[in-house]
Amino acid sequence: MSHDTQEVSANDAHARGPLLLLLGSGLVWLVLSGVLALIASVQLHTPTFLASCAWFTYGHMQALQETAFVYGWLANAGLALGLWVLTRLGGEALRAGNWVTVGALFWNLGVTLALVGIVAGDATGHSLLQLPRYVQPLLLIAYGAIAVAGVLAWSGRRNETSYASQWYVFAALFLFPWLFSVAQLTLFVLPMRGVMQAVIAGWFAQGVFTLWLAPLALAAAYYVVPKVTGRVLPAYQFASLAFWVLIVVGAWTGGRHLIGGPVPAWISSLAIVACSLLVFHYLVVWLNLKGALGHGGAVMKFTAFGLLAYVIGGCADAFTSIRSFAVITQFTYFTQAQQQLALYGGVSMLFFGVLYFAVPRLTGKTWASAALIGGHATTAILGVLLLVISLGVAGWTQGQALLKPAVTFPEIAAATRPWLLLATAAYAVLLVGNLMLVVNFLQTLAAKPTVPAAALFQATSDIKETA
Amino acid sequence: MKNGTLFFLGLFASLTVSFAVVLLANHQLGALTPYFDDGEGKAFPDRMPGVAARGQLVYRDLGCASCHTQQVRRPGFGADQTRGWGERQSVARDYIFQPFPQLGAMRIGPDLTNSAGRKPSALDAEDLMNLLYAGQGAMPAHAFLFNQVKVTGEVPAKALKLTGSAAPAAGYAIVPSEQAQTLVAYLLNLNTVYDYPESRPVVQAAAQAEGAHK
Repeated sequence: MSHDTQEVSANDAHARGPLLLLLGSGLVWLVLSGVLALIASVQLHTPTFLASCAWFTYGHMQALQETAFVYGWLANAGLALGLWVLTRLGGEALRAGNWVTVGALFWNLGVTLALVGIVAGDATGHSLLQLPRYVQPLLLIAYGAIAVAGVLAWSGRRNETSYASQWYVFAALFLFPWLFSVAQLTLFVLPMRGVMQAVIAGWFAQGVFTLWLAPLALAAAYYVVPKVTGRVLPAYQFASLAFWVLIVVGAWTGGRHLIGGPVPAWISSLAIVACSLLVFHYLVVWLNLKGALGHGGAVMKFTAFGLLAYVIGGCADAFTSIRSFAVITQFTYFTQAQQQLALYGGVSMLFFGVLYFAVPRLTGKTWASAALIGGHATTAILGVLLLVISLGVAGWTQGQALLKPAVTFPEIAAATRPWLLLATAAYAVLLVGNLMLVVNFLQTLAAKPTVPAAALFQATSDIKETA
Repeated sequence: MKNGTLFFLGLFASLTVSFAVVLLANHQLGALTPYFDDGEGKAFPDRMPGVAARGQLVYRDLGCASCHTQQVRRPGFGADQTRGWGERQSVARDYIFQPFPQLGAMRIGPDLTNSAGRKPSALDAEDLMNLLYAGQGAMPAHAFLFNQVKVTGEVPAKALKLTGSAAPAAGYAIVPSEQAQTLVAYLLNLNTVYDYPESRPVVQAAAQAEGAHK
C-alpha cells in the first residue's frame, strides 16, 4: 500500500482551486436536486401540485432531479474527490489544474443547459441519460478536460505499485467517456432501431453506476478507511479480484430491467447471472472495509453507512433480478427505492465521508461547525433510511396490488399514499441535512485560518475530535 | 498492477466485451422486417400516421413514460393480460417503426401498449380529451394542453363537452391545442391487435396451462 504519504502536503494547496470549484458546484446541484426531488415526490401523492404548467409535469421533475443529482452533484463531487485521492496517492502535485478548472466550468454550463432543456421538454426519456442530446457532446468534452489531470496523476505517480483507490479512480475516469460516447452514437447520432434503444439505455444506465459512480465512491472509501482507522485493510489480497469482477461483470447486469420485456429472454437471463456474480465483489468490498464500522467520527459514520448501503443494495439487486421477485417489484416504487439506496445511500454517503476528510486538508482550515457536521450525519442517515423504507414498502404494496386485476389504480394510489407522504418527509429531512453541509462548507471557506496548517494535520483524526 | 498499459487494455477490453450484449441483440433484432400476412394481404406492424408520430413526440416531451409503460409481459408473468392491457405479449417487432419507443419503467398508471385496441371498450377521443383535461385519480390534469376561447357565434366543433364544475364560464369553450390533438391521435393509434408468429405460441401454451379462460 502506498498511502503512507505525509499528512501535510503542499500538493493539497496546489489542488485547492480546481477541486474546491468542483466540490462547491457539486454542492449547489445537491441542494437544487433536493428541492426538485421534493417537488416530484409531492406530485406523486398530490397530483394537482404544480400541474397547471407544462414545465412542471412529474416526468420533467423526475428527470430534472435525477440529472441534477447524478450529473450535477455526484459527477462534480466524484471527480473532485477522485482526483484528490489520485494526486495524494501519486505523491505529486495536481498537474493540468487549469484544465480541471476550465472543464469544471463547461461541465456545469452543460448541466445547466441540460436542466433548461429538460424543462423545455427535451429529455431523452432514458433513465440516467435524460440529458438532452445537444448538451451531450459538450459534457463529453468538458469531462475529457477534467480527466486529463487524472491521467497525468496516474501516469506520473511516484510508486510503480498502485493501490486499490488508484485502480478505481482511473477506471472510472476512463470508462465513463467510453460508455457515454458509445451511448450517444448508438442512441442519438445513428440510432439503433426499436427496442434496441432500451437495451442500449439499460447497458448505459447500469454502466453509469457500476463503472463510473461506484468505482469513484469505492476509491474514496479505500483511501479514507485505512487513513482514519490506522489499520491495514483485512483480506486486501482479494481487492484486485473484487475490482476486476466489478469491471468485467458490472455492465452485463443492465438487462435486468428488461425482464419479461419485448426483448429476447437471453438478455435478461445474462443480467440475472451477472447480478449474482457481482455478489462476490460486494463480499470482498465488505471484508476489506468493514473496519469502518464501529469507529467513531463523522467521516467513518458516513463511510460505514455508505458501505452498508452499497453492499446491501448490491445484494438486493441480485435478489430482485430473480424472475419471481422481479414480477412483483418491476415497474414499481421498489425500483426507485433500490436506486436511491445505491445512489444516495451508497455512492453519495461515501462521498460525504471523504468530503469531510478532504475539505480541511484542501483548505487548510478545520470545519467551521462541528454541530453542523453532526446534524448532517444524523439527518442524512435518518433521511436515507426513511426514504428507502417508505419507497420500498410503497413499491411492494403497489407490486402486489398490480398482480391482482381487481384492484384499480385509484385503489393502488390510496394504498401507497401514506408511504409516499413518508417519502416526501424523507426528502425534506435530506434537504435540511444538505443545507447544513452547504452552510458549513461556505463558513469554512470564509473563515480565516487560525491555526498553522501544519499543526492542524498532526493528528490524523482531526475530524474525529471535532465531530 | 504494475503494468499500466496492460491495466488500461484490460479496462478497455472489459467494457468492449460487455458491449457485445448490445451487438448480439442488434444482430438478432436490428434487421427485423415487417411481417407479411398472406391472408390479410398486408404487412404488420403499420407505420404510424404522421399525426400520431408527432403525438409520440408530445408523449415523450411531457415525460408520460415516467408513469405509463408500453410493454405487455407474457401471460402468467404478472397480471398484464387479466388487466386487459393486451391479449398477447409485446414483441420486438411491435416497435420497429417507432423512432422513440416508449417502453417505460414505472406503472403508476396503466400500461398503454394496446390502449386503443382494448376490449370490450377502449377509450375514444372524447374520453381521452376529458381525461387529459380534468385528470383522474393519480393522473394529474393536463389543462395546459387546452385553450379557453371566447365563443362568438357557433361553439367550435372540437370544444370539449364539459359539465358541472369542470365546465368553463358561460360564453367560453375549452378547445384542445395542437399538442393535445396529436397526443390523442397517438394514443388512439396504440394497439397490438395483430398476432405475430413469435407472439402466438407462448400465449396458447400459457392459456392451456392456466385452464384457458376464453
